[in-house]
Amino acid sequence: MDKLVAQYSRPPHQDEFYSEQEQRELTESLPPLSLKFNLPPVDDSRAFLRAMTDDHSNPNCPIKLAHGTTTLAFRFQGGIIVATDSRATAGNWIASQTVKKVIPVSRLSRGEDKPSNEPTPGLLGTMAGGAADCQYWLRYLSQQCTLHEIRHKRRITVAAASKILANLTYSYKGMGLSMGTMLAGMTPQEGPALYYIDSDGTRLPGNLFCVGSGQTFAYGVLDANYKYDLTEEEALELGRRSILAAMHRDAYSGGFINLYHVKEEGWVHHGFNDMNPIFWKTKLEKGEFSNVTSEL
Amino acid sequence: MTTLTGQPSSEAIGYSFSKATSAPIREHSFYPYTDNGGSTLGITGSDFAILAGDTRSVAGYNINSRYAPKVFKIGGDDETGEGAHILLSVVGFAADGQALKERLDAVVKMYKYQHGKPMSVMACAQRLSTIFYQKRFFPYYVHAILAGLDEDGKGALYSYDPVGSYEREQCRAAGSAASLIMPFLDNQVNFKNQYIPGSGEGHALEPKKPEPLPRNTVEQLVRDAFTSAVERHIEVGDGLQMMVITKGGIEEIYYPLKKD
Amino acid sequence: MNHFPEAWGRPRDDVYGPYNPSYLQTTGPKTHTQSPAVTGTSVVAVKFNGGVAIAADNLASYGSLARFTDVKRLRKFGNSAVVGFSGDVSDMQYIDRLLESIDIRENYSTHGNTLNAKNLHTYLSKVLYKRRSEFNPLWNHILVAGFDEDKKPFLSSADLLGTTFSAPHLATGFGAHLAVPILRRLFPDEKPAEAVSRDEAVAALRECLKVLWYRDARSLDKYSIAVISEAGIEIEEDQQIEAQSWAFAEAIKGYGAQVN
Repeated sequence: MDKLVAQYSRPPHQDEFYSEQEQRELTESLPPLSLKFNLPPVDDSRAFLRAMTDDHSNPNCPIKLAHGTTTLAFRFQGGIIVATDSRATAGNWIASQTVKKVIPVSRLSRGEDKPSNEPTPGLLGTMAGGAADCQYWLRYLSQQCTLHEIRHKRRITVAAASKILANLTYSYKGMGLSMGTMLAGMTPQEGPALYYIDSDGTRLPGNLFCVGSGQTFAYGVLDANYKYDLTEEEALELGRRSILAAMHRDAYSGGFINLYHVKEEGWVHHGFNDMNPIFWKTKLEKGEFSNVTSEL
Repeated sequence: MTTLTGQPSSEAIGYSFSKATSAPIREHSFYPYTDNGGSTLGITGSDFAILAGDTRSVAGYNINSRYAPKVFKIGGDDETGEGAHILLSVVGFAADGQALKERLDAVVKMYKYQHGKPMSVMACAQRLSTIFYQKRFFPYYVHAILAGLDEDGKGALYSYDPVGSYEREQCRAAGSAASLIMPFLDNQVNFKNQYIPGSGEGHALEPKKPEPLPRNTVEQLVRDAFTSAVERHIEVGDGLQMMVITKGGIEEIYYPLKKD
Repeated sequence: MNHFPEAWGRPRDDVYGPYNPSYLQTTGPKTHTQSPAVTGTSVVAVKFNGGVAIAADNLASYGSLARFTDVKRLRKFGNSAVVGFSGDVSDMQYIDRLLESIDIRENYSTHGNTLNAKNLHTYLSKVLYKRRSEFNPLWNHILVAGFDEDKKPFLSSADLLGTTFSAPHLATGFGAHLAVPILRRLFPDEKPAEAVSRDEAVAALRECLKVLWYRDARSLDKYSIAVISEAGIEIEEDQQIEAQSWAFAEAIKGYGAQVN
């Protein structure tokens, strides 16, 4: 009722311009630390967002967001292997084949891969679901982790970091976020730790996760060959092979294989390699993928 | 959402392919977006970056204007953009694009006044991403490309989706003809599916390695991409606005396209 | 979030309810606050050497009823700008009040500047964009005619979504279909605005309004025309469309029961 009265009892004309507060916010050169998002002023903002962006229910929806796809991580005796594909799709359109779906979450190395082989301390996050959601919230998480480090003079545990993210996604539950992420890291308190967090607010510790539309294909290969006692070589190869299987069978996965190894001293990048030569090598040298003919 | 208690609804277990039959609550409301068409394209080189866009603005099958720029200078000293060091192209809903451009421009200017130095392209790219994400639930219907020179003087190009996921790339096409232009760029800029002749037989053929292209080649590629897109897409045409950023500043080139 | 591979990461119906496409709809039953009731049809404008001419008829329709036949849809602002409104008449009057208060404030201010047409257009497009972002649009498509800060003729448009564009000749509503082709034929790109005389421009507008009167069922043969030039604004209201020829009507066959 108040809304109705307010609507019909406004002055002859309102001051149509932005308030000083709004103007200041618009020109702020740093983003606000408080989490403030513009909501569409309709009764059901979630339904509005979904109508505009859900490319599965409506392939003709006007705003197609970039979505990520096959990611996996598993613990073994030598640490944690993290592997992803690199394809982003917007509807049926391949928006990018070069997405970096492993995002370092630590203040020491923000995004830029170091050329050296020295391990970089910090956590790794993976990205599946809405590309922007994952990028934004993992960036937010790095900020929180850095603040934690400054306040407590020691690195944050993976359990705590994953809890920050899970609490966050749970508070936005039902708003339309889409992310399935894994956090991997090694701390003195926990040893190798791996957590799965998604936009429903789920947070699960575990040994082995595959996330994304290609998850089933990756699980198929990974579960069949997984042992905790794998050597480092074997573990890297298993990660690579599982992603390759998913890229081959899932249309929404493809591009490059991005491989990381988390060790006690930090994470090491093991390359961002085109899947095509790896596929043919696997087929021709190892005789796998016999469903594909090698005739030209 | 994992249902742990209660009755799963008919769709909950998702094995049924039938669509939900209950009619949704129909709300007849104002539709806040429109697509003004057009296309943009950016390519980087070792010491420059080019951002280009056609200048047609459409509404449905109507051509609103034949000169509506899509590429803007960001952080200039005055209205003309003099002294700018960053370029932004926007395509999609023009009013959102305009709002976004003005917002980023204000942010880059404020940064300069507050910090006494121009904003780096990397910082600007991250800030643009958060501007997009602040409207995550009511998105800007815009595909943006940001270009400039990085700390090493190399061309830098960042491309965005409508809610702010971004990536640094060598080249990117956006807008209605992106699906026509992007495959061409993959082949001509990143040399996708090009092999070194005589380097082997069959699977042993070696792929050609991409390397930064010289400026005149890139300019010609941009022209070719647009003249071809004009032939096959109704929303692209009229004019090609090209901005080239080098350490010497920003140069604007206009090149006419077919007007049909 | 859906975890099944075929729709991974997408919203689930049992959580979000069935997909509701009504937000995508642009037409539908009228609701009082969010769609226009009493409306004005096209506004037509053209630049000429040393000024701009703009015209609109004097009708406000209520659906298909020609309800008010003496509504002036051209509004003077200061001494060198005219705004032409099409769309909702109540929103036009609201914007009129808004402009009135700005005019008063500007005239009382001490800085001595006056708002030119370009400033006015920027302001109005921001108002329109802000209101569309609140889902409470001002249901108008406006043309702003006058001069920019360099005293060059200025003509630009803004619609209810905040989309803006400019061209040497513009028309809103039905005029975008009927008048723009006439204007483009009379004043092609090879004949820039500097080569168009005032009389030619005025004659062209009268011709456009005549064609609109022939074919736009929501138009009227009484109209207003304003010419903005160095000398100021000359606005003529209560003009009558002259030299009509309905001979073409004889040749129209094939509608309804009359098939040959």
